[in-house]
Amino acid sequence: MSWDFAILILSGLPWTIVVTIGAFAMGLILGAPLCAMHISRNPILHFLALAIIIFLRSIPPIVWVFLLFFGLGSGFISIGAIPATIIALGVVTAANMAEIYRGSLSSIHAGQWEAISALGLPPVSSFKDIILPQLFRVTLPSAASYLIGLFKDSAIASTVGVMDIAFLANFVARKSFDGLTPFAFAAVLYILISIPIALVARIADARLRQKVAQ
Amino acid sequence: MIAEIQAGPRVPEAAPNILEVRNLRKSFGVHEVLKNINFAMRKGEVVAVIGPSGSGKSTLLRCLNQLEPASGGEITIDGLTIRADHQLRRAELMGLRRKAGMVFQSFNLFPHLSVLRNISLPQERVLGRSRAEAEKRAHALLERVGLADKASQYPARCSGGQQQRIAIARALALDPQVMLFDEPTSALDPEVGLEVLAVMKELAEGGMTMVVVTHEMHFAETVSDRVLLMADGHILEEGPSAEVMRNPKSERAQRFLKAVMNR
Ligand SMILES: Nc1ncnc2c1ncn2[C@@H]1O[C@H](COP(=O)(O)OP(=O)(O)OP(=O)(O)O)[C@@H](O)[C@H]1O
Ligand SMILES: [Mg+2]
Repeated sequence: MSWDFAILILSGLPWTIVVTIGAFAMGLILGAPLCAMHISRNPILHFLALAIIIFLRSIPPIVWVFLLFFGLGSGFISIGAIPATIIALGVVTAANMAEIYRGSLSSIHAGQWEAISALGLPPVSSFKDIILPQLFRVTLPSAASYLIGLFKDSAIASTVGVMDIAFLANFVARKSFDGLTPFAFAAVLYILISIPIALVARIADARLRQKVAQ
Repeated sequence: MIAEIQAGPRVPEAAPNILEVRNLRKSFGVHEVLKNINFAMRKGEVVAVIGPSGSGKSTLLRCLNQLEPASGGEITIDGLTIRADHQLRRAELMGLRRKAGMVFQSFNLFPHLSVLRNISLPQERVLGRSRAEAEKRAHALLERVGLADKASQYPARCSGGQQQRIAIARALALDPQVMLFDEPTSALDPEVGLEVLAVMKELAEGGMTMVVVTHEMHFAETVSDRVLLMADGHILEEGPSAEVMRNPKSERAQRFLKAVMNR
């Protein structure tokens, strides 16, 4: 057996990455306003955010993908397989990131807010200079492990025909009547990409920790 | 000569009031924590606020710079008056906080900024100083609190006493008219607390107006000009430090002082 199949499966990597990065970026961005609504003192905004978060998280990502692609795509609006997957995974990520941001915010010591108030720092500076850098540090590890999970979950794109790693592995398996080799190759690919993400996150976290903690 | 032996008030009687508190009240829900507080301070005066736990000392201090909005009464600091029954405008609030520097029990330095940046950044953002100007001032203040060599460290690498002195420098960098201290040495070992108290003593001798909530009776007696003894949201006794601490009038004050002096 030649290595052609490997090259074919590898050619799915860009789509896997596009789906992962797209959904992650969407979640990182949309998670912020969702978190802001959730911690808002306005009860309407608070409960609206709570409802959205519960709703988004209660439905399995694959059902979201089918809802968007087959449900909406079957006549309401035309939506491609890739955008449908990105949006489906993106909204779920947004809900989870909102919760991660909220946890990070609550881990910031109350004394930091008091110091900000007592010094009279303007709001923009308070957020940009004081809160955001500290948020970044506490959010980094959980965001990185979420990214790895998302990277693996991106395989559900294959169910609606996105030619990613999982899709092509399946394709090769069917054509060659060999289930083991292509899927094992796909598994190794997923591992090889997850490990560096985890490593980079760990190193970055350790660096920041060393600087800040005793 | 005679006057010196008698050690009269350090601050001239004629000095203008820089801080006035009139009919200050504060409630948390139905719980009235401050009940009609009145006092005034002259420029350069050092007032120690003492009293049992829960008597409202921290709340009083936090009302002075509106970390806690007052429920009633008025506060004047250096000509700026805040009335509890008036909607506080943002400019007034910022003005008030610029006039009052605050030092907390738990230091509250910014952990992700170097010691120098902790002191220089607020100057740039609050007063609009240039970076060079702010850093020059920060270095000078670090020198003054004896920590010139810590400028490039991160706060977590400094001891508690050092962190508190950095926090004092950070507050001083904004040129406040009044400094508010809330138990600045309570989180520190006694001998470490001494280095913080030494800095505060020097500050007092330099003419800074200071309100110091403290359990350090020695500091209250030797450094402050006046003592406010609080209990249950009232000022129970008020007067020159030695007088209040040695000859408390009320039975309640006697009990408190006896308990803390014997510790
Ligand atoms: N944010 C708050 N919400 C509700 N009650 C509060 C709040 N802050 C303080 N209190 C209550 O107000 C009272 C006075 O508290 P405060 O912290 O001013 O006392 P203190 O004299 O500083 O005491 P300590 O010596 O223990 O620091 C206490 O009964 C406290 O429980
Ligand atoms: Mg207190």
